[in-house]
Amino acid sequence: MPLFNLSNVSKPKTLDYDVAIIGAGPGGLATAVYAGRARLKTIVFEKATEGGQILLTDTVEDYPGFTSISGNDLAENFLNHAKAFGASFADEEIVEVDFKSDPKRIKSDLGNEYTAKVVVIATGSNPKRLGVPGESEFMNKGVSYCAVCDGSFFKDKKVVVVGGGDSAIEEGLYLTKITNDVTLIHRRDKLRAQKIAQDRAFKSKMKFIWNTVVTEIGGSKNVEYVNVKDLKSGEVKKVPTEGVFIYVGLSPNTEIFKGSIEMDENGFIITNSKMETNIKGVYTVGDVRNTPLRQIVTAASDGAIAVIDMVKYFE
Amino acid sequence: MAALLSEEDRKYLVDLFQKEVKSEVKILFFTRKNKEECEYCELTQQILDELAETTDKIKIEVHDFDSEEDLVKKYNIGMAPAILMFDSKNKDMRIRYYGIPSGYEFSSLIEDVVATSKNGEVDLSESTLKKLQEIKEPVKLQVFVTPTCPYCPKAVLMAHKLAMQSPNFIGEMVEANEFPDLSMQYNVSSVPHIIINDGEGEFVGALPEDAFIDQVMSVVKGA
Repeated sequence: MPLFNLSNVSKPKTLDYDVAIIGAGPGGLATAVYAGRARLKTIVFEKATEGGQILLTDTVEDYPGFTSISGNDLAENFLNHAKAFGASFADEEIVEVDFKSDPKRIKSDLGNEYTAKVVVIATGSNPKRLGVPGESEFMNKGVSYCAVCDGSFFKDKKVVVVGGGDSAIEEGLYLTKITNDVTLIHRRDKLRAQKIAQDRAFKSKMKFIWNTVVTEIGGSKNVEYVNVKDLKSGEVKKVPTEGVFIYVGLSPNTEIFKGSIEMDENGFIITNSKMETNIKGVYTVGDVRNTPLRQIVTAASDGAIAVIDMVKYFE
Repeated sequence: MAALLSEEDRKYLVDLFQKEVKSEVKILFFTRKNKEECEYCELTQQILDELAETTDKIKIEVHDFDSEEDLVKKYNIGMAPAILMFDSKNKDMRIRYYGIPSGYEFSSLIEDVVATSKNGEVDLSESTLKKLQEIKEPVKLQVFVTPTCPYCPKAVLMAHKLAMQSPNFIGEMVEANEFPDLSMQYNVSSVPHIIINDGEGEFVGALPEDAFIDQVMSVVKGA
């Protein structure tokens, strides 16, 4: 990533828009590009840093057009692209929505109230909790969900990574650059991650414990061990570790929309093939949507489809 | 030495400062001569110098952390590198950067420059401003960060906004990797990690404004 990053600097703004996009990950930013090109007055809200979860990825190799690009650079490209076609940005967290009014109303943590004819939910997802004893107790005391944020605290220490998908492997590989002792614990006998990432992991110094689940995270002040259970033999043992990085799936960021929009049993928002939800004029794109694949390319594609459809509200 | 800022970023800053920087901003920079005691002092000074070259409204004043004891004491500077900002009325904004504001924290520094140039005019909700008035005792917020944490600037800027708005607050950014002893003292292993009044209270995460201020209030008011 660039040594000095400027993507967070916010811009002046007004309060009324054609399109309000909540979340500046790939889905939200692709929506902003297309909305800008459709000459819609567009604002994008971001509670952390523009780019979303790709900022947590060291290297992206599966976004067409870029053989290999850092998550940070790709995020910056997305952001600059959206800005180039006129989208406004606000570093504010949306805390309340009213989809019943016309135009729709949304309120930010700074107390600002915005209106928009169309709202696009692009709030993404965040790593799911493992749900074992000790996880909450030792959260921020060795339990982490963000290797790029917290990895440096575990220099030369023993860490475990829980999971077997793309995130687990990629974050695990990132951790191998910080410490020599990275063990991946996975409940199956093979990984779900993309094959190329698997090959890299097997060639790296990462160690693997297969067919095994973590049953407890323990220690005194900080994490000292995880208890694991071998699902085949039933054997239970203690694995000493100082860090536990958890990547066992994604949980949608839909808390503020509960009750106002249709979701599936896991909280992901349901849309039609045009990305429109059960509420007219409210669209959902990217990871937060009930979708078979959560990738940068699919999030971007969702954004394009949503804008082409929403144009009908401005004719 | 090669420039730290890319030509593109430099142009962006020239343009941004031209539009946004209203009055003069003085940056007090505390450094140490001994490289072994301050790995990032030199780099911090260089980025500040490059920043000052983008506008005639930023003035950098360099001080030695080890020999200028009176000044260090006056502003209660605990470590170096340290960055402080003063507005055009020479008012201390009560914000502190301990460690280099690199990575995502560079944005925080820029936001602070703009806010300082407007004499501490920042965007806070009515309810927060009301709560701030209830606080009469000193509050120190130390926000531990890493430069690669995209969630951290939000917490840093919250602490800094509170400091700019209330004379009772001091808002600090602490780059956790540069000050491992302090990080260890507060058991920091996930960021942003916010320490209130030297450990009277603490929380982790970039909370929305309401939740952030409530955490602070619960410690200060004992509620």
